[in-house]
Amino acid sequence: MSLKSRVYRGKSGQWAFITHRITGFLVFAFLLLHIVDVSLIARPRLYDQVHELYGNVLLRLFEVGLLFALVYHSLNGLRIVMIDFFPGSIRNERTVLVAVTVISVGATLAGGYVIMKPFIEGRLL
Amino acid sequence: MMQTASPARAGKMEAGRRSRPSFEAWSWLFMRVSGLALIFLALVHFALTHIVTDVADTGSDFVDDRWANPLWRLFDWALLTLALFHGLGGLRWIIDDYVRSPGRRAVIKVSLYAVALSLFALGTITILTY
Repeated sequence: MSLKSRVYRGKSGQWAFITHRITGFLVFAFLLLHIVDVSLIARPRLYDQVHELYGNVLLRLFEVGLLFALVYHSLNGLRIVMIDFFPGSIRNERTVLVAVTVISVGATLAGGYVIMKPFIEGRLL
Repeated sequence: MMQTASPARAGKMEAGRRSRPSFEAWSWLFMRVSGLALIFLALVHFALTHIVTDVADTGSDFVDDRWANPLWRLFDWALLTLALFHGLGGLRWIIDDYVRSPGRRAVIKVSLYAVALSLFALGTITILTY
């Protein structure tokens, strides 16, 4: 039996589980970094020097990714709460997951446009 | 001395468990309740610092203005606390799933708790002493 045939291939819920984990892990990793950079506020000059990095184009792209992770994890979390607290409230799991994904992508595109605006308008590198 | 529990005994134990929720049951509930609060706290925080205000304009002056109001400090501290412990709960489950050796699991968990508690202290001190 090859390894490939033994890998569990679930349905939509399995994908929701994996993506919920990955987005949660990434947001948590950023949170740890963010606590450290905010703690520099005790020395405002140093804080501003470090904070300037968040405005560059690479970190703006990273922030768009963070927005997606936050919105996706929020909406999928809401789906989990509905399933756990109101059993039977979700009739079609797959449709709800598709809606979660579509709304997350839509919110990321809209928010991403605002975040990337200085770059799009050529005011930034 | 080993004894198999009688059905009556097992039933009693089960009832006992039901009346006193385990740590894991509280953890399960905390993840959902904190998650609901975080949808509001985290999304409002992100919107204010990346959408309403451009990230380049959220330097020390921005923090100075915002933290002049104690309610914003409370908002940020609630976000810090709930996000950190919600993330810690999630990572605890991830470690239980992927780290199979009990020794390594213990080392990784203790390190994670140490880092998280230190950062919780750092964040709390930052908000309180500014």
